[in-house]
Amino acid sequence: MSVLRTFKIMSLNTRAIARLNLTQQHLAPRRLSTIANINQGTKYTSDFKNYAVQNNKVISYFHDVPLELNPTTKEANIVVEIPRWTNAKFEINTKLPGNPIVQDSKSDKVRYVKNLFPHHGYIHNYGAFPQTWEDPTTQHVNGLYGDNDPVDVCEIGSRILHTGDIKRVKILGAIALIDDGELDWKVIVVDVEDPLAKEVYDIHHLYTKCPGLLETTRQWFMDYKLPDGKPPNAFAFNAVYKNAKETIEVIKQCHQSWKALVHGENRGGKLPTIANTTLQGTPGYVDDLGVKLDNPSKPDAEIPLEIQRSYFMTSD
Amino acid sequence: MSYTTRQVAAANTLDHKVYLEKDGKPISPFHDIPLYANEEKTILNMIVEVPRWTNAKMEISKELKLNPIIQDTKKGKLRFVRNCFPHHGYIHNYGAFPQTWEDPNQIHPETKAKGDNDPLDVCEIGEKVATVGEVKQVKVLGVMALLDEGETDWKVIVIDVNDPLAPKLNDIEDVETHLPGLLRATNEWFRIYKIPDGKPENQFAFSGECKNKKYAEEIIVECAEAWEKLIKGESVDSKGIDLTNTTLETTPTFSASAVSEIPAASPAPAAPIDKSIDKWFFISGAH
Repeated sequence: MSVLRTFKIMSLNTRAIARLNLTQQHLAPRRLSTIANINQGTKYTSDFKNYAVQNNKVISYFHDVPLELNPTTKEANIVVEIPRWTNAKFEINTKLPGNPIVQDSKSDKVRYVKNLFPHHGYIHNYGAFPQTWEDPTTQHVNGLYGDNDPVDVCEIGSRILHTGDIKRVKILGAIALIDDGELDWKVIVVDVEDPLAKEVYDIHHLYTKCPGLLETTRQWFMDYKLPDGKPPNAFAFNAVYKNAKETIEVIKQCHQSWKALVHGENRGGKLPTIANTTLQGTPGYVDDLGVKLDNPSKPDAEIPLEIQRSYFMTSD
Repeated sequence: MSYTTRQVAAANTLDHKVYLEKDGKPISPFHDIPLYANEEKTILNMIVEVPRWTNAKMEISKELKLNPIIQDTKKGKLRFVRNCFPHHGYIHNYGAFPQTWEDPNQIHPETKAKGDNDPLDVCEIGEKVATVGEVKQVKVLGVMALLDEGETDWKVIVIDVNDPLAPKLNDIEDVETHLPGLLRATNEWFRIYKIPDGKPENQFAFSGECKNKKYAEEIIVECAEAWEKLIKGESVDSKGIDLTNTTLETTPTFSASAVSEIPAASPAPAAPIDKSIDKWFFISGAH
């Protein structure tokens, strides 16, 4: 919380100027290759954290990694949280300074997704769009509130990506999941460096290029919590995939929600930290996030044997 | 009965070999491990070659002395099974029954195809991911008759006796009850797994039906008898299979000294697998 104390009080005027600065920063693509990441602690324990680092300084995956959405090329940047075919639920933590990637936990136990036969863990490289936010304070489609997280992405390229990777992707479409009663977009993208990216530029191309992928993705998101004793998830828009253009509009909206958030227009205990190191003029801007990298990476902990189990259940 | 492995060189390299040992002494997984693990013949030994969700085509070598498990190669390159969407690598713990042989000199009366010259293949469906060279005690549930490039290639479906589900699985129909969709996925997997390599879809005998436990046990007995003839040197043609063994003293190929010819252990961390193996292949009309 020490970061919050450094917030500056701004007049409306300076806020407008700040917003203009912010816009200009988005227009000037920064080189993603200058962003590295560093592991802290022991993977597969609650001690683990993965931070984005630029110029030897911790930056925020949520706020400082640029989205760089280009509606013409349909490209944007993503942060990879969970590699395909793995089970540990790694995600950008929205509350901690620097927004590190940590393994989600429940009652002090780190969480894993179950294997839903015939699938092995997550079936995509899973992650999030930086500088986007599904606003939980206002109603969106079907009167649903956002899930208070950055927008989720499913990267479908042939390579297995890694936790903390930042990738330029092509946006193809999206499906609107209702997860535990909250709106939770799943955007389908492909790494621009993947050969597939040259062959597909909208959602319907996947029906021929990757037969079965979209149907399987829908079913997977519907059923993935069944092994935990939860009901199947539902979808908004009759579970129909939005095309690339419609999806880009959703991302734009969520980018606007994020902008309002980092400009301090939303306040509340359950909202994300807005501490950042690049958005000069925003109330969360600081020179240094105050994160100490003093917990060196150690050998991975063992993943519990029970995570190897496959569950044979479907809502169909 | 304690089996261990002797690792030679790093996994995912051409030099990698996994020898089996009994009480620290090299043995052949093909010839020296008994097929049956109990007197009633209700529990069988299985040698794991490929752990579930992995791609390297590890198999018991027929040609090398004491038949270590090595990675299959083609034109000098390591072979990996491709990922056919929605599957990741092999979908079972895959392996073989010791002391069995699918005799290529014999045409099976029902499949009308000759044996594939390998030990009998086994798919273990328990929840744990096994390790290369692990010797599991399993119970037999059924069998599928794959016709792989024109040869009969039986796939026996089994479960580890120590799996929590094992007490509930006693015959093939129990598999569909407790693991719905598994047999259909198995059928699909074996039909399509070579399509990414440019090969045609495999066929199954019996319209793809999985035969029951009794049928499977008969196949196992046939293949055990074929191996008996093979190891006694009575087979019409032993197809160059190395029959050296260190425990079957009455066989012509028994050799106590073979033990000293086996390389010492030289374990090393697994080499990285080429990124191209991560790729998912989408096969239209497969499902």
